[in-house]
Amino acid sequence: MRKFETWLLERATVPNAHTLAVYKQLGGYHALSKVLKGEKPMSPADVVNEVKLSELRGRGGAGFSCGMKWSFMPDPQKDPRPRYLAINADESEPGTCKDRVLMEQDPHGLVEGALIACYAIRAQAAYIYVRGEYRLSYQRLQAAIDEARAANLVGKNILGTGFSCEIHMHKGAGAYICGEETGLMESLEGKRGHPRPKPPFPAAFGLWGQPTTVNNVETIFNVPFIVARGGAWHAAIGTKGSKGNFLCGVSGHVEKPGVYELPFGLTARQIIDEFAGGVWKGRKCKAWFPGGSSCALVKGEDLDVVLDHDSLKTKGSSLGTAALIVMDDQTSIARVMEIIARFYDHESCGQCSQCREGTQWLSQIFHRIATGQGQPDDVATLESLAKGMAPGKTICALSDAAAIPTLSAVRLFKDELLECVKQKRDTLPYPRVEYAGAH
Amino acid sequence: MTKITVNGRAVEADPKQPLIAACHANQADVPTYCYHPGLTPVGSCRICQVEVQQGTGPARVVVACRTYPAEGMVVQTESEKAHEVRRECLEFLLKNHPLDCPICDKAGECDLQDFTYTEGQSAGRSHEPRRPLEKRKSLGDVIVLDEERCILCSRCVRFFEEVTKKPQLTVADLGSRSTIATFADRPLTGNYQGNIADLCPVGALTLKKFRFQARVWNLVKMASTCAECSRGCSTTVEVLRGGEVKRFRPRDNPAVNQWWLCDTGRFAFEHVNAGERLDGARTRESLAAVAELLAEDPAALLVASPFCTQEEGALILGFARSRGVQAYFLSPAPNGLKDALLHTGDPCPNRRGLTELGFAPLSPAEIGSPKTLVLFGERSAELCGTALARAGRVALFDCHAAALPNVAASIGVPTHVERSGTWINIDGQRGVLGAARPAPAGVRPLTSLVPELAALLRAQAVRP
Repeated sequence: MRKFETWLLERATVPNAHTLAVYKQLGGYHALSKVLKGEKPMSPADVVNEVKLSELRGRGGAGFSCGMKWSFMPDPQKDPRPRYLAINADESEPGTCKDRVLMEQDPHGLVEGALIACYAIRAQAAYIYVRGEYRLSYQRLQAAIDEARAANLVGKNILGTGFSCEIHMHKGAGAYICGEETGLMESLEGKRGHPRPKPPFPAAFGLWGQPTTVNNVETIFNVPFIVARGGAWHAAIGTKGSKGNFLCGVSGHVEKPGVYELPFGLTARQIIDEFAGGVWKGRKCKAWFPGGSSCALVKGEDLDVVLDHDSLKTKGSSLGTAALIVMDDQTSIARVMEIIARFYDHESCGQCSQCREGTQWLSQIFHRIATGQGQPDDVATLESLAKGMAPGKTICALSDAAAIPTLSAVRLFKDELLECVKQKRDTLPYPRVEYAGAH
Repeated sequence: MTKITVNGRAVEADPKQPLIAACHANQADVPTYCYHPGLTPVGSCRICQVEVQQGTGPARVVVACRTYPAEGMVVQTESEKAHEVRRECLEFLLKNHPLDCPICDKAGECDLQDFTYTEGQSAGRSHEPRRPLEKRKSLGDVIVLDEERCILCSRCVRFFEEVTKKPQLTVADLGSRSTIATFADRPLTGNYQGNIADLCPVGALTLKKFRFQARVWNLVKMASTCAECSRGCSTTVEVLRGGEVKRFRPRDNPAVNQWWLCDTGRFAFEHVNAGERLDGARTRESLAAVAELLAEDPAALLVASPFCTQEEGALILGFARSRGVQAYFLSPAPNGLKDALLHTGDPCPNRRGLTELGFAPLSPAEIGSPKTLVLFGERSAELCGTALARAGRVALFDCHAAALPNVAASIGVPTHVERSGTWINIDGQRGVLGAARPAPAGVRPLTSLVPELAALLRAQAVRP
């Protein structure tokens, strides 16, 4: 077994780590006291600098530098408007299940991170937007906030330092699109979760029109560790451009699916073989998604790529939320894409023409191919449709998220798709489960 | 103002207005569906994509309705790339559009149809049946929704939110299942529903009163002014083959009504389309009869219709002054339709103009029982109501006859869609009337009849 330092899931394995008592025993809220009233209290700018130094990149899929994002918040001297932190816990990407572990097992870690982040960006309040289906996450987080408030860790004049910060919870209602940062803000405001055109960016015009930073759960969760141990410590772990540990959710055809905490620098093969128990039933890997269904498929023979932000680009894919979905050699790509395309068709908000009509069209074509009714021009149509949907042609990235896997499937598995069309059947039939709402 | 370049031309643009406004102001015909100058741009239809280059950066394709002019911006609306992305977008918009143009009321003035003709490919690539949805969903007394034709631009939704400030419509459901709907399928209310049929870039929202009434290319259109209140909204009168008026539609006028028109004005065809018009067959004899009445009673009461134009008013006033009497115009009571947006509640479209000329307002009740009453102009008998019967003898210049024994002479005049002239609205804005169709045979306007009447009286005066 590899030896490396872990922190993200360290407490999650301790019984009752979700309670304040156990959390404090494990060193909880030390980082917060260090920031607010340590020997050398840190200014908000100090915290931002420390996070910048750590080279922490957002874990929500886009991989944007967290410190940089925080520094986009306007100068409070020049812009006295109230400001907010929104924490994106609407984890709905197919394959992604990492934030759930943190929120269920270690909710105080998120609360502490939220408080430090609010302090750094001078926000008066944090809003945690929790996916509606994550009931336990919601309950545990709410309990953690209540406990923390009772212990004067949330609310007015925290720990007697004069720093005040509220943390509010919001439960999503089941829409994937509300995980998009502007859709999330609209939803938080009580409107339909329709993403807003950018610019203006959230740092200038966010929640209720006020400066807002939107961060992923895992990103915020890293903050107390960075503050406690120093940005340099974090920046020393990992590969160039990808620092620290990340939560890797491995799912699909592996023996031991699960969420693993890993340092950047491991290859997909190492992760699958050493941690996830290898591809199941002794089979070979045919294809895999490195970071959820929204990134490009990678071929099974390319498992030796390092799973980090930059290395995956050489394989035409991206890290996304580091949700590894492994497919064995008996998987039908037409069937996989049928399922994925139907997901995006179901979840498109319907604002932009390309996305509303395009996701449906992709879904219809993949369904046709997978059920042996493919037309000779279907694969070519798929490719040109996907090119018309991305990149950057719509308000948000959902259209891209549907187009990218499609393009990769056509690029890597064109022959297989064409064969399905030609033979008028799925060449790798898999037991079909018809869902309500299927075509 | 910001200096930008649109298709090679250096122009000035307002940095607060979206780039598309600058494009449209400079002959760059960028298509739009969700964008409307009177509504907040949302950038959702994505059809208005243009190529923009700034500084030393590479050219980018952006939506012109959500991009704002910046100094030195170079905009290409006709570049190969811009056309390509718009064509792609168009294909998506047409994916589920039923293409039932042959039976669609919007055909001929449909933005989607127009752009498809200029840009689209001749054959579709989709093998799927189109999305089956409700073809005729009633949204109240005014509007019918065809959900299949809808391209979800949300103009109608924003109209109620932003213009009437009473949100009534929404986009229901998600993605390709989205439809326009009211809460719990309640009917739309208010006096401004018709505007959403104009706003709709396709044939999804149609007026119940215009449904299957005419093909729009057979309509003769004339710029005019609404006659229903003293706001005097700028309109277009649309007449089918010289016959019935089929539509009144708002005409963009920033000083008066912007892009909007109330339903009262929009559907005010009853008077202009009513049959049994007074014709011009016996105009000469009738004018002689009127002249005789006036010669017998020097104190005859001269009352103009509030629909009289400035031009007609000036002649009537001159005629009254030559007889040494006050000229009046009929001023009915406010009709209770006043609202915060356009309707003033005052049914006299030229009240301000006639008052400024020197007319005095006269309510029907104030007419009393004059020995001789002369009414000038359209709908004057109708507006007098019961007062008409109390007059001794009546000479009537109107569009329709009044079947009363005391009406001694009736002479036909054109309605406001059959004559040209000027009204002055409540704020002093001039509104022009245009003749959208000819008046019935022989019917002459008051501008011709009043001078002839004056000449007849002068001739009588010199007769021994």
